[in-house]
Parts: sequence; C-alpha cells; structure tokens
Amino acid sequence: MSLLSQAVTILLNGLQQGAVFALLGIGLTIILGTMEFLNLAHGALYLIGAYAGLLVFKEAALTNGLLYNSGIQQVGLGAGFLAALVLVPIIGFVVGALMERFVAEPFYDRAETDQLLVTFGLALIIEELVKQVIGGNTFQSIPPETLLGVQASGPIGLPIVGSFPRWRLYIVLIAGVVILATYFVIERTDFGLVVQAGTRDSEMVRLLGIPIDRSYTLVFAMGAALAAFAGLIGASFQTISPQIGMERALVPAFLTIVVGGAGSVVGAIAGGMVLGVVVAAFQQTYSQWAFIVMYLLVALVLVFRPQGIFGSVEVGE
Amino acid sequence: MSADAFLELDGVDAYYGQSHILWDVSMEVREGEICALLGRNGAGKTTTLRSIAGARPPDVRSGTVRFKGDDITDESTENISARGVSLVPEERRIFPNLTVEENIHLSGVSRNWSNRVGRALSFAEGGLSNEEVYAQFPRLDDRRTQQAGTLSGGEQQMLAIARALKQGGDIMMLDEPYEGLAPQIIQSVEDAIRRISENGMTILLVEQNAVAAMKIADRAYVLDQGEVVFDGTAEALREDEATREKYLGV
Repeated sequence: MSLLSQAVTILLNGLQQGAVFALLGIGLTIILGTMEFLNLAHGALYLIGAYAGLLVFKEAALTNGLLYNSGIQQVGLGAGFLAALVLVPIIGFVVGALMERFVAEPFYDRAETDQLLVTFGLALIIEELVKQVIGGNTFQSIPPETLLGVQASGPIGLPIVGSFPRWRLYIVLIAGVVILATYFVIERTDFGLVVQAGTRDSEMVRLLGIPIDRSYTLVFAMGAALAAFAGLIGASFQTISPQIGMERALVPAFLTIVVGGAGSVVGAIAGGMVLGVVVAAFQQTYSQWAFIVMYLLVALVLVFRPQGIFGSVEVGE
Repeated sequence: MSADAFLELDGVDAYYGQSHILWDVSMEVREGEICALLGRNGAGKTTTLRSIAGARPPDVRSGTVRFKGDDITDESTENISARGVSLVPEERRIFPNLTVEENIHLSGVSRNWSNRVGRALSFAEGGLSNEEVYAQFPRLDDRRTQQAGTLSGGEQQMLAIARALKQGGDIMMLDEPYEGLAPQIIQSVEDAIRRISENGMTILLVEQNAVAAMKIADRAYVLDQGEVVFDGTAEALREDEATREKYLGV
C-alpha cells in the first residue's frame, strides 16, 4: 500500500468516524449554547438511535433480558434500512422533545451541577432500561445490503485507494448530506440565525423581542434527532451494546465541541472531522494509541486554544 | 402618575438575590425627550434599565413599571421589547459570530417570528427598513458582510444602536454608550443619538460620563446607592454644583 493510498484511506475512514462525531457535536453544541444546558444524556440519544435502527431495520434474536424471559425471542420490524433512515430521526426528535419538556426545562435555571446530575442519571436509566428489556448482549453492526435499489454492500473500486467497502463510502455521503442540510438550516434561515445568536447570548435575543424560549423544544428535538441519526449511522458499521451511548457518543461529542469551540456549529463539524481523522490515522497505524492520542489532542487544544478552533468564547464562560 | 409620563417607575424595589439594589425608585420619562440617568458606578443605573426591560435578575419585588399607561412590571423581556422598549445594553452585546447584516436582520425577525409561533400580542409598528438603518450609519453599510466581532469599539456601538433602531420601538434605553470610546467617536455616537431623538424617538440615557450626557439631555435623574437623589432639568443639574460634586464627582 503506497503512502498516498494509505493517506486517502485514513482520510475516508476519518471522515466516516468524523461525520458521526460531527452529528453528535452539532446536537450537543446547539443545546449547550442556546439553552446553556449541559446534556449528559446526549449519548443516550445515540444509544436510542442505534437500537431503534436495529429494531426497525432487522429482526434481532434475543438471548437474555426481560423480553426474552417472557418468551419473546425475536424483536424488530424487519422493515429495511430505508425505513430506519426515516424513522430513527423522527423517534429521536420525539424523545428529544419529551426530554426537553419533562427533564431539561425544569432545570434551565438550576446550577450546572444539578443539570449534570439529572441528565447523567437519565443516561444511566436509559442504558439500564435497554439492558434490562432487550438484554446486555452485543449485536453485530447492521450495514444494509441495498439502499433505494442500489447495492450498498461489498467493495467498491476507488481511484488511488483501490478496493474500499462500499457502505463506508455511502456513510460519508449520507452523513455529509445531513450535515449540509443542518448547516443550511442554521446558516440560512431565520430560525438558524436565532439559534446562532442564542448560542452566544440568549438574553440579548429576548431583549430584541424574540421569544426564543419557544424555540427551545425545537432546538432540543433537532439536536436529539441528529444524535439518534448518528446512532443509526454508527450502528451500521460498529457493534451495538448498551454501553455505546457513553463510550462512543457522549465522550466523543464533548471532545468534539471542545476541539471545535462550544456554541459553534461550524466548529462542531470541523472538530468532529479533525478528531475522526486523527483517530482513523492511529487506528490504521498504532491502533492501541488511537484514543490516547485523541485525549492528548483535546488536552493540547484546552491548553493552547481553550476557545476551540472556531469558538471565540472559552468553555465555561 | 403624571399625565405626560411615557415610561414610569413607581416605587420600584429591586433585588439581586438577597441584596437590595433599588430602593423605592420613582421616575418618569416623557415622550420625545432625552432623559439622562446618572450616578456613580454601582449606583443602580443598569439595574434600573434591566428592571424596565424585564431582564431577570434583578427581581422586582415591589413597585410598578408602566409603559404608555400599561403595567409591564411582570411581563417577559420579549413582550416588553415587542411593546416598543429597546435596550442598547452595556458592553453592546452585539452577536460577534454574526455579520453586521445578520445582526441587523435579527432585530427585524421578531415581528415575523411571532406569527410563526402563533403569538397573539401585536408588535410595535414603524420598524425601519434595512436601507433606512444603513442610511443613518454609513460605516456599517461598508461593513455589511463583516463579522460583527471584528468591528472596532465605536462601530460595535453604532451596530448596537442600529440594531435597536431596526426594532422599531418607541423608546430607546442606552446603557453607557460612550464607555471605552475615544473622544471623536463619542462625538459621532452623540450625533447619532441626537439624530434618532430628532426623528421622534424617546431616549433614556444612562451614563457615567455625566458631562457628556448633560450636554444632550433635557432632564436628568441622579441615582446614589439605589435611591433617586436628584430629579430635574439638565439645566438645573448643571447649576446644582453641590449635587454634581457629591454624587457625580464633576
């Protein structure tokens, strides 16, 4: 493998992982910025997305858990990946809206530690519920065979790289479209303008006569839908288990916005991509170092550029 | 209440947590005038403006704020703004991550926004078009697509005022608009305030720079430790050396 093809492979793998980080980071950052609300249950939304994807797409065989113990050995709709692609963000949106109304809203004016405790508690409850009901076993990743009649599995020949898993390439394209659409909403609509302004100074937005509180549910639900979508995308190339919400979503999402700059959507996209490529580079070369290097990178950003790449406000300010 | 009060505070007591900041503050701003609210740092000037604008904190525990005769004491910040009270806050608080154009556009969003979320309250009429706003601030016109965070201090102040103007309110409250600006920039901000006033806007001007504020004000209030200690015309304050020395240090 030539150096160039190795570099391009790393880039493609990095973009794929980075897209998941970016989707998570965008959601977390708009919620953090607009409502000044720290949502440690953001990873649980990823978890919900992954399991919802599994159950909509496939019929999963259970080996333990509440459902299995009551005689149900197979769950899931087996409705196909396209159905999952449509339904999972909707499920995330609804769960996010409910979470905002009943969990987050009463805590907007409370101390950050209270917000952390209640959302972390919620994350544990959701994780434990999944474990109890569906079982603690690990499911294989769920890449689709075809999508919209187009073959999605198997290898695809790419210039420079040569043979590359077709689905991984599609992930970059699909996630890229969603990220672009989100970017468009944030950058080009009045709603997005209000959100962007609100991430910096929500009181000033209200002083301009805009009832931004009414957008809170929508912002939260949008962030949740993106996290759930990230869960589905993640599940299509990584294994699914109750721990993924914490391990593969919550921590990377926070690292993403630290690198990109809290409160910045562009920053979340850039931060996600930077982290994704760094992780991919080390996974391909010195895989045991991948996550250590990721934390090291974040530590360096915090030391030398605490406002992140695109942020102008320091974390915690 | 006096018949010609446009904005009126009646015995307002305001708190930040447990600390009692405003003590029985009563004042009025008349339609079309420039009213100055003066006093030393910490006298309660910003707290007064925030109490009027419905920004919390402070917590207004007793007293009434009336605008055009309506009690607005317990109304939300956005409703008060929609009624026509705009605030140009201390330190400007423009949105640094948005362009000049987007900052100004945002002030016009409220009227449409309300329809979209089905709000019943009608919004203040008479908001200026973007072109009218830029016509008054040519320097901003040249910088429409620039990130607001990269503007100079004076330009940011102009943007904060332009933004309030775009809201189309009936009273503009300016909190320390001269703070941190060079003398010639202060002059151009002063000119802008005069011009806006001449176009019919009522103005409540908070300043530590009492001399500059008295130059353009019709009437003035002086606050000290949260209490009104002077109330009269700017002319009377200029002549009242004792009050000026004791409470303003000028």
